[in-house]
Amino acid sequence: MKRRLNSKNPASLIIGLVVLAILAIAILGAPLLAPYDPVAQNAAERLEKPSEKHWLGTDRFGRDILSRTLHGGQTTLLSSLLALCAALAIGLLVGMAAGMFHGSALDHILMRIIDVLLAFPFMVFAMVIAGLFGTGLVHLLLAVVSVWWVSFARLTRSVVLHAKNETSYAAAKVLGASNLAIMRKELLPKAISPVLILATFELGTLILSIAALSFLGLGAQPPAPEWGSMLADGRAHFFQAPHILIGPAAFIVATVLAFNLIGEGLRDRLDPYEKLEL
Amino acid sequence: MHTVLLRKLLEALLTLFFATLIIFALIRLAPGDPVRLMLGHPGEIAAQGTSAYDEKVAELRAELGLDRNIAVQYVTWLGRLAQGDLGTSIFTGKQVGSEIAARLPATVTLSLSALLVQIALGLIFGMVAALRSGKLADQLIRVACVALASTPAFVVGLVALALFAVKYGVYEISSDFSAARLWLPALTLGVLGAPQLVRIMRANLLTEFGKIYVSSAQSRGLDRKRVVRHAARNALIPLVTMVALSFAGLIGGAVVIESIFSWPGIGKYALDSILVKDYPVIQGYALVAVLMVVLIHFLVDVVYSALDPRIHHKGEAGREEKA
Repeated sequence: MKRRLNSKNPASLIIGLVVLAILAIAILGAPLLAPYDPVAQNAAERLEKPSEKHWLGTDRFGRDILSRTLHGGQTTLLSSLLALCAALAIGLLVGMAAGMFHGSALDHILMRIIDVLLAFPFMVFAMVIAGLFGTGLVHLLLAVVSVWWVSFARLTRSVVLHAKNETSYAAAKVLGASNLAIMRKELLPKAISPVLILATFELGTLILSIAALSFLGLGAQPPAPEWGSMLADGRAHFFQAPHILIGPAAFIVATVLAFNLIGEGLRDRLDPYEKLEL
Repeated sequence: MHTVLLRKLLEALLTLFFATLIIFALIRLAPGDPVRLMLGHPGEIAAQGTSAYDEKVAELRAELGLDRNIAVQYVTWLGRLAQGDLGTSIFTGKQVGSEIAARLPATVTLSLSALLVQIALGLIFGMVAALRSGKLADQLIRVACVALASTPAFVVGLVALALFAVKYGVYEISSDFSAARLWLPALTLGVLGAPQLVRIMRANLLTEFGKIYVSSAQSRGLDRKRVVRHAARNALIPLVTMVALSFAGLIGGAVVIESIFSWPGIGKYALDSILVKDYPVIQGYALVAVLMVVLIHFLVDVVYSALDPRIHHKGEAGREEKA
C-alpha cells in the first residue's frame, strides 16, 4: 500500500539529482563560470540591486554576489561533507560495536554517552563551543562532528540488532567466523544503505544548521567568500539591501532541497529503512 | 510501574551528571587560564599585567578553588550548581541564575505558543494528507512540507519581519516581552516546525487505516467519520513523544528566531554573551538547556507509562522497539 502511495517518488529522486548536478557543476566550475573575481572590490558599484551586469547584485564593497556565492559554495559544501563523513564513520563504528556486543558493558556505556549527547540540543552545543573556544568555521565543524554521529550510531545499532536475528548471521557464527569478520562482511553491508540514506537527509539539516549559526555570527568570519559569512554580512544590511542575503540563501535552499528530495526518493526504494525509521 | 519510573529517574539523573562532566571538561579544555578568562579575555583588558590584576587573579583563583586538585574543583562546582548558584556574569556582574530565570518565561512562552501552532498545523494538514492520500491535496501538502523543511529559519523570520513590521507596519520592532509581540515569532517558529508533525501524523494515520479494526469497522458499514475518529485517536499516542521532543528542540532552537525578533529569551541572552565572551553565562545557559531537555524526556516517559499499560511490563524491550 505504501509503495503505491509513494509512486511519485522516482520524480523526487530525479529532480533532486538534477538540481544537485547543476549545483555541483556551478560550484565546482566556479573559477571558470563566475563572472567576476569573488574578492575584487568596486566602490562605484556598492549594494547594487540584481541587474544584467550583476545577476545577484553586489554587496557593500561592490563585490559580485553571484561570483562570491559560487566560490563560497566550495568551502561550505566541502566542509559540511567532510564533517558529515567524520560523523558517519564514528557513528558506524560505535553503532556496530554497540550492536555486536548488545547487552554488554560496552553497549551500556556507549548508549549512555549517546543519551547524554542527545540531551544537548545541537544549537546549544555549538554555541557553547563557539563561546568557549571562539567563533569560526573549524570550531563549528568540530561541534557538528562531536554531536552529529549519534543519529548514525543509533540507526546502525538498530540495523545490527535486526541483522543478528537473521540466519546468515547465525550461520557465520556457527562456522566460527571472527567478530571482526562478521562485522565487516555481514553487518556493515546491511547497515551501509540505511545509514547513507539518513546521511542525505542529515546533510540537508546540517547545511541548514551551519547556515543558521553562521547567520548568528558564530561561523566563518567575513571577508571569506563562504555562504555562512555572506549570510552574517547580509543580515546587517537586510532591510537596506535584501538581495545580499537572498543570493546565498537561495543557493542554500536549492542545495538542501536537492538532498531532501534525493533522501525521500532513496528511502522509498529501500524497504529496510521503512521498518527502522528513527 | 514504579520500578520503571524509578529507573528512568535514575537514568535522567545520570545523564545530567554526565552532562555536567562534559560542560566542566569543556570549560577546562577552553584555551587560556579560566581565571583570566573569567576576568575578561586577554588583550581586551587594559589592566592586564598590573599588580592589581595579578592580585585579582590570585584572589579569584583561591575563591574558585582552582588552586586545588581537579576532582575537588569539580565536586565544589557541582555543589554550587546544586544550590542553584551558576556564578556571576563577567559583563554585568549579575547572578547568572537569576538573569536566566528572568528570561526563561519569554523563551518558554514563545516555545509553547510555537508548539501549539505546530500541533494545530500538524494535525490539520496531516489528517487532510492522509484522507486524500495520493490525491492533489496530499501532493501539495507534501511539496509545501519539503520546501519549508529546506528553507533556513532566518529566511522565513526575516521575510516575516520585512512584511509585517516594515511593509504593513502591524508588528512593533522592539525588545519587549509582551503579548502583542508574541504572535509573529510564535507563528514563524510554529510554521517552521510543522512539516515534521504533518509527515508523522500522515504516516501514523495511514498505518492505522491499514489495520484490521478499521477495515472491519468499514465492512460493518460504520460511519466514515467515526472510523476516522477512532483511527485518529490511536495515531495520536505516538505523537506525544514527537511533540515533547519538538518542544525540547524549540527551547534550544529558538535562538535564531529570538535573535531576529529581538525576543528577550535565554537564547538571545546566551548569544549576546558569546559575542562578549561572557563564559559563566554560556555555561549557565548550557546547563539550563540540558536540564530542560532531560526534564522533558523524563516527563515523556512518565506520560507514556500512564498512557500505555504495556510499557510497565516491557520496559527495556519497548525501548528497543522505539530505537
